[in-house]
Amino acid sequence: MSYRTTGALHLVRRLTYGPSPTLMADISRSGPGSWLEQQLSPATIDDSVCDGYLARYPRLKWTVPQVRAAYVNGGGWEMMEMLGGAALLRATWSKRQLFEVMVDFWSNHLNVTNPSSDVWDSRHDYDRNVIRKYTLGKYSDMLWASANHPAMMRYLNNADSTKDSPNENYGRELLELHTVGIDAGYTEVEMHTSALVLTGLGVHDVWRPSNQVQDPKNGLFEYFPDDHWTGPVSVMGWSSPNATGAGGYAVAQSYVSYLAHHPATALRLATKLVRRFVSDSPIPDLANYLAKVYLANDTAIVPVLRALFGSRQFLSGYTTKVKRPMEDLVSSLRALSILPDPGVGTDGLMALWYQSDTMGHQPMSWAQPDGFPDIATSWQSTNGTLERWNLHMALSGQWWPVNNDPKNPMLQAPALKTYLPTTLPATHGALIDALAQRVLFQPVSAAGRDAICVFLGKTAASPLKATDPAVTWRLGYVIALLLDSVHHAMR
Amino acid sequence: MRRTTPAESTGGCGCPDHGSGAGGSGGFSRRSFLKRGAAVAAATGLSGTQLATQLAFASTPTYTGDTVVVLSFRGGFDGLSVVVPRADADFAALRPNIRVPDAALLSTGDNRFGLHPAMAPLLPFWQAGTFGAVHAVGQDNPTRSHFEAMEEMERAAPGSSLRTGWIDRLLTARGQGTSFQGCQVGDTRVSSSFIGPSPELGMYRIDDFNLSGSSNSTELAAWSTALQGLNSGALAVIADPLSTTLGALAQTGALTDAGYTEANGAVYDTTSDLAMSLRDVARLIKANVGLQMAAVDYGDWDMHSGLSVGTLDPTQGWMFDKVTELANALKAFYTDLGPALLAKTTLITLSEFGRRVEENGSHGVDHGHGNAVLIMGGGVVGGQVHGVWPGLSAAALNDGDLDARTDYRNLLGEILVKRCGASSVSSIFPGLTYAPVGIAHP
Repeated sequence: MSYRTTGALHLVRRLTYGPSPTLMADISRSGPGSWLEQQLSPATIDDSVCDGYLARYPRLKWTVPQVRAAYVNGGGWEMMEMLGGAALLRATWSKRQLFEVMVDFWSNHLNVTNPSSDVWDSRHDYDRNVIRKYTLGKYSDMLWASANHPAMMRYLNNADSTKDSPNENYGRELLELHTVGIDAGYTEVEMHTSALVLTGLGVHDVWRPSNQVQDPKNGLFEYFPDDHWTGPVSVMGWSSPNATGAGGYAVAQSYVSYLAHHPATALRLATKLVRRFVSDSPIPDLANYLAKVYLANDTAIVPVLRALFGSRQFLSGYTTKVKRPMEDLVSSLRALSILPDPGVGTDGLMALWYQSDTMGHQPMSWAQPDGFPDIATSWQSTNGTLERWNLHMALSGQWWPVNNDPKNPMLQAPALKTYLPTTLPATHGALIDALAQRVLFQPVSAAGRDAICVFLGKTAASPLKATDPAVTWRLGYVIALLLDSVHHAMR
Repeated sequence: MRRTTPAESTGGCGCPDHGSGAGGSGGFSRRSFLKRGAAVAAATGLSGTQLATQLAFASTPTYTGDTVVVLSFRGGFDGLSVVVPRADADFAALRPNIRVPDAALLSTGDNRFGLHPAMAPLLPFWQAGTFGAVHAVGQDNPTRSHFEAMEEMERAAPGSSLRTGWIDRLLTARGQGTSFQGCQVGDTRVSSSFIGPSPELGMYRIDDFNLSGSSNSTELAAWSTALQGLNSGALAVIADPLSTTLGALAQTGALTDAGYTEANGAVYDTTSDLAMSLRDVARLIKANVGLQMAAVDYGDWDMHSGLSVGTLDPTQGWMFDKVTELANALKAFYTDLGPALLAKTTLITLSEFGRRVEENGSHGVDHGHGNAVLIMGGGVVGGQVHGVWPGLSAAALNDGDLDARTDYRNLLGEILVKRCGASSVSSIFPGLTYAPVGIAHP
């Protein structure tokens, strides 16, 4: 497919966590079309710099039993904190940007709140072996992997669901959120049947005596045939005699696969992808088309994305998506070329994690199973607006969490003067234009440029000297104001 | 090999929202972990039930009801240590070491219950009828996970698939308010009860709600002009919150500039987050900025160990410290408001669950179910302990816990109907059979 060069910024703003000087150089070199193909094959992209940063969190590679053996008294938020820090790290510095955007999409679609108590030992593994493993794979595989993971089993209480005492939570959300959706027409009886089909899917859970914490299966998914409800079952056109406990696992697999391939699931996922990448308002024609692509490709996601990004509706949708708070945070870091501390510390990353919580959009932390909302009206708030403005000032002013203190290193930012063009512009107006090109990667509106000039007590035509506040102590303020503009707010 | 609940009955339930690892890194407090922020108004569109709610309030276009303050006791408040069953042999047997002994209890005028001695500063209000309690209150669907119980309590719609919070449904039903219509005070991250389309505000302190880089009203005006210019022509989803934010900043800035002097000799403990948050609530009420619903957190009640020190000594330990801070803060709030404003203010405490009746081996109590709720305000029916008391006999207990005989939503519902002008609460609390308990004067 071909993208006009002028479309590169649109592509970058929608498919990534925001432009950076490096990314804009990359896409300019390779051209938007081949850049997109690379993004759809992330293994072809060298991401060694990001991988190097991730080495600051070695424990994220631990298995669930390893975690439980290490935290022998149970509990502890460390694993979940590290996962949160790593999520922001990857969003900000991975070159596999579309992959990271899709990780976020799936993490919300199959939400398992991080941090939350039941998944302290398993949420990082869910991220690795369910979400990231299948992010650009087949949804049917991801969904079944989620049904086979202790994090999902605990989070939606299926680990407590037995034939004698079924818990409907997972069975309900599997239909309502993970697959066909609440309007698909299933009945309460079918919803209850859904829970019965899933009984027996649980977690191998050992706490006492403490020596058994070393059990190599501790905390892993396990199927318990004796807990599985048996008898004929049918849900939305799927049915099974479901005669034995031993056969129940295969019955559940058949059911979950059926739901992943259901046309209502296809349409629901397509609608969510359109919302993510194109428009807050539904575009039924596009969603219907993408749903067909999803079904024709056995739930593979890359063909759906390729069709989406090649669609007329995507290519023409220039101004209708607004950044959510975490996207604003990450895109600001990227625009300003801010990096992790030069050593191996994680304090700066944790500060970002707390910041994202303050902004109400900490990755993976949505408290309910439906994931963070993805339309702008859901996020328009007084607090959120103020938090964004204050964040921009803190980053641009290099107040926090950016510093150059070797004793307590946080994030590192380039010297403020490096945002200036090498030759000082002749006027204040030209300075604002140049800075806009540097941090917004596009021109600022004339009204915006004039507003900053007024803020500085100048006009666009006012001559600029090297000692003027605009290029000395006010420089950080000017950059913050540019990030406060509508240009930076949009995706 | 499955489903063995970790250490639930041995002084720690093993789950990280109160596990030993919590708060150990990053200087992040346990209290913070007990709440997931929701600084988002999650638009879900108006459902049929929500539209019906709007009709319920249609006759009150301008809100003239009480300001309601919801004080959240996050962590699982042990109501049995504060509104204490007295002369109760079952209770004495189950809590041989950590109960408040009868001799130390303050009189409620009801020989079934006494108040924790640290509640003494509030006794005059109890006697005046502006402070009271309800016992054996709980949620419909007991869960003993902090996280789930808190989320469910603030969603307040068990058995439904609504994803909004009850305060949001209420504010949405009332329609257009001010930037200050719903405020979380003491935390920028708002409670899940605010999730939904209506805008709300979260601030740590009024004096702290300000724009970085601007230190006075002149600079704020310059920033405001610049921000408007930089967003001229923006979509309403950007332009609208921009103008409400600038308006709120101007108002908090004016309040900050004006300073604040407490009325009637009220004294707030400046070292108490609770007291200073209530002080800001009082400021907002007095400033008449349109505050309808205020939410304040007072957490750290997860007393698996060290609830008290020694045997039958309520005068030191975790509970004594918490109740002392609570009583002093509420007394200052009462005093500061004075009778006229108190008449238009109702405060209610909520906690995600109560504690187990039987003490554990660490001078603590594990997660339980039924609980006590405290109510205050000029319009509450105070001076008594409301609710159906099931007792603490083995047969009366719910899985070892105080049974819950009053759905907490009926307390909120009664306040909304009698104090806030709601004609119905059926769409704010879907599925609830509304049954007022008699805690509020109409």
